[in-house]
Amino acid sequence: MRVSDPGAVWAVPDPRELALRIRLRAVRMVAPQGFGYLGQALSSAEQVAAVFASARPGVDRMVCSPGHYIIGPFAAAAELGLIDVSGYGQNGSAFEAIGTERSPVVDYTCGSLGQGLSAALGFALADRFRGSDARIFTMVSDGELEEGQVWEAALFAAHHRLDRLTVLLDANNSQVDGPVDSITTLEPIAAKWSAFGWHVWDLDGHDVSALAAALAAAGASRGQPSVLVCRTSTRHGLDCLPPDADGHFITLTPELAAAAVRELTGKLEALDA
Amino acid sequence: MREPPYRIELKPYGRALVELARRRGEVLCLSGDLTKQTEVDLFQAEFPDRFIHGGMAEANMMSMAGALARCGHIPFVHTFGVFATRRPFDQIANAIAYPNLPVRIIGFMPGVSTPGGPSHQAIDDVALMRALPNMTVVDVADAVETRQVVPAIADVPGPVYVRLKRGEIPVIFDDDHVLRLDRASVVLAGTDVALFASGMMLAAALAASRALGSHGLSVSVINVPVIKPLDAAAVLAAAAGARLVVTAENHSIVGGLGSAVAEVIAEAGLGRPLRRVGLRDTFAEGSLDAPYLFGKYGLSASAIVETIWSGLGRAGPTPAAPAAGAESGEYSPV
Repeated sequence: MRVSDPGAVWAVPDPRELALRIRLRAVRMVAPQGFGYLGQALSSAEQVAAVFASARPGVDRMVCSPGHYIIGPFAAAAELGLIDVSGYGQNGSAFEAIGTERSPVVDYTCGSLGQGLSAALGFALADRFRGSDARIFTMVSDGELEEGQVWEAALFAAHHRLDRLTVLLDANNSQVDGPVDSITTLEPIAAKWSAFGWHVWDLDGHDVSALAAALAAAGASRGQPSVLVCRTSTRHGLDCLPPDADGHFITLTPELAAAAVRELTGKLEALDA
Repeated sequence: MREPPYRIELKPYGRALVELARRRGEVLCLSGDLTKQTEVDLFQAEFPDRFIHGGMAEANMMSMAGALARCGHIPFVHTFGVFATRRPFDQIANAIAYPNLPVRIIGFMPGVSTPGGPSHQAIDDVALMRALPNMTVVDVADAVETRQVVPAIADVPGPVYVRLKRGEIPVIFDDDHVLRLDRASVVLAGTDVALFASGMMLAAALAASRALGSHGLSVSVINVPVIKPLDAAAVLAAAAGARLVVTAENHSIVGGLGSAVAEVIAEAGLGRPLRRVGLRDTFAEGSLDAPYLFGKYGLSASAIVETIWSGLGRAGPTPAAPAAGAESGEYSPV
């Protein structure tokens, strides 16, 4: 199942609730292994929920450039009843922890970072050839901005006025070796994209309403590709995580997993109440 | 097959691509800031809407080509062989080869066919592309094969890498020659030596065979336009009937035709001595002209003659091979 498959059907009545469910599902997906890319799901949960709330099933496309983020789209699709993710991360499973060609849900993902935006451009060109107005929602991480290819793609998209393209840039300030800003100064991120000719929003990436408004405005944008610089944290929405939890690859002991499930279940019940 | 001196053609690839594009609407053309140099100015003039300037951004261009192929297009991607393979190798691996997409990567200026120095000389492109699962690797020998390779690769289900000489292309084969992607073909029959050649080395191999023939050595010449998947049956058949196996490629001896032939005959337990003519695990250099490099780096007809002569332990002075050089309008063999 992919977002753009004809016949795909889903509905997101409340993106806030879906984001919470993505977190809970991600905890349950990672818990059997005791480690995994939970931080990516925590920082991007609202963005993933917002894409599923905004995308037209069977028409628009979703690209997950950093393969390590695939847990988010998997969790969302599972919560929307589109796939069964049991076996995630286990030997022989098609739900690999780092996205591959076998990964369902998204139209493109890759574990070698910095390549997804270029694939999104290819989709945008193909859609233009066939006269389609399909949008391409593209998840990109801030660490990927260290790869030169992202900027090759940014130049190309603006030059060709690929306005059906919207990047959700997860600025969680996390990469393998530590905080991104301790390794490479990316700021001013928004000004860089603006200088490259993109329509830019700089917003709280955990604010569902702000995300929805920006995605709607980006969809109406003509002549320019759009980027939402989403300021986020890899620990957001899970208070039981220790302050020193590694945002890139979190260790989840059985005790911590149980505490996380308790916390998120409680929040979900409070939301439903 | 024609006899030297070979007449030359210009832009056989560029014209063939236009012809294919007239028939096939899925064909797109991408260029990495080398449009005239890769002969696709012809495509751009006739099909401007299906022509995409990738600019000097090969990584982005390869990843885009992969996505376009996912959507039903057949992208032909053009740049020099070095920039087509070394710089975007990870993108080709992940966005094209692994998903097994019908992207056609056309790398011009193979080996030392350019005097532009190591940055411009694709001496490892065959090795790099051959290492990728799903990839077909082609190195055609003349204008007749160049014309045919374009329609021949159009419907290969997976990715294809084609290395092409730039500029003056010799016409070696007759017009009724048929290029087949699944065949290596014996173009000269012989009994003492099996000489496998690909791409630009075919003309030199033919010259070497003729020179040795007049000294009592019978050298078969096998044209190998497709290095992967290699026609193992043809390799074994030719090698089994020979005392010495020689490969000739405008490429490093590591990872290309010589390695591919070695793998086949070794795995078959054939036990024939093997000599590889090519760049001997070295970068070349910049120069005024390419023939100087073919001579200096052992890629000439005389280098092949010498390799065979010594490989068979023949006594006496090495026979002379025809010298390079040609009249205007004729191909200058190396």
